[in-house]
Amino acid sequence: MAESPAQTAFAEEALTHLDTLYRGALRLTRDPDQAQDLVQEAYLRALRYQHSYQQGTNMKAWLFAIMRNLFWDRFKGSRKDDVSLDDVGEFVLYEKLRDEGARPEADVLDKLAASEVVKAVETLPPLHREVVLLVDVEGFSYKDAAQALGVPIGTVMSRLHRARQQLQRSLYDYAVESGIVRGNGSQQVRQ
Amino acid sequence: MNCKDCSEKLDRFVDRELSSTEVLELQLHLESCPDCQDHYEFEAHLKRLVRHSCDCDTPPAFREKLRQLLT
Repeated sequence: MAESPAQTAFAEEALTHLDTLYRGALRLTRDPDQAQDLVQEAYLRALRYQHSYQQGTNMKAWLFAIMRNLFWDRFKGSRKDDVSLDDVGEFVLYEKLRDEGARPEADVLDKLAASEVVKAVETLPPLHREVVLLVDVEGFSYKDAAQALGVPIGTVMSRLHRARQQLQRSLYDYAVESGIVRGNGSQQVRQ
Repeated sequence: MNCKDCSEKLDRFVDRELSSTEVLELQLHLESCPDCQDHYEFEAHLKRLVRHSCDCDTPPAFREKLRQLLT
């Protein structure tokens, strides 16, 4: 594919970010085969449009932007799960657990299964899921996440806030259902 | 800083998005408030839990296939 040493060098540098792209694609598509297709297409597109990459800027954010734009193009016909989280209400897991007499860290976090955490992330609406993937999983700054998503920093912050509320609610519901805590339901939230 | 201010800034503190002045103010509050300190440790723990749970490496065969395709 690469036709010159410069293109090969560009491809090599881009491939150093492969794990980030694969993790993101896997959590967005929730399917390993679709994730590989998406990542491959993203890399081919990145090489085709490498002239639009500005040296010295964040290549990882640039690559993630290509991948997530392809994801939205490909799945724009099935955005039914892109529901709004505007109405989820305030939910602070720490306060909820403490009010119920549990020790939030020792009684709950230490007992949550990784598979349940992944499930909670993967059931977030994609617009909110991708912010959690960038900031919490990949450690992006708000600024770099905003660049990757093509939105203002304020939008990153508000989506992240709502995503975390929903994530904490899902984890709480799982903790109650699995008997980790004896709760009274996530609907009765502190205001 | 009071507990309400601290709670509102906790996300940005965990995400290392506060200014150095805000960090100092918040750290001073945490040192004097065990409950907010517990809350902070909970949020930091939860963030690590999400990161570790979602961590996975690219399958080696796919990595190699992509390398051959691109370089």
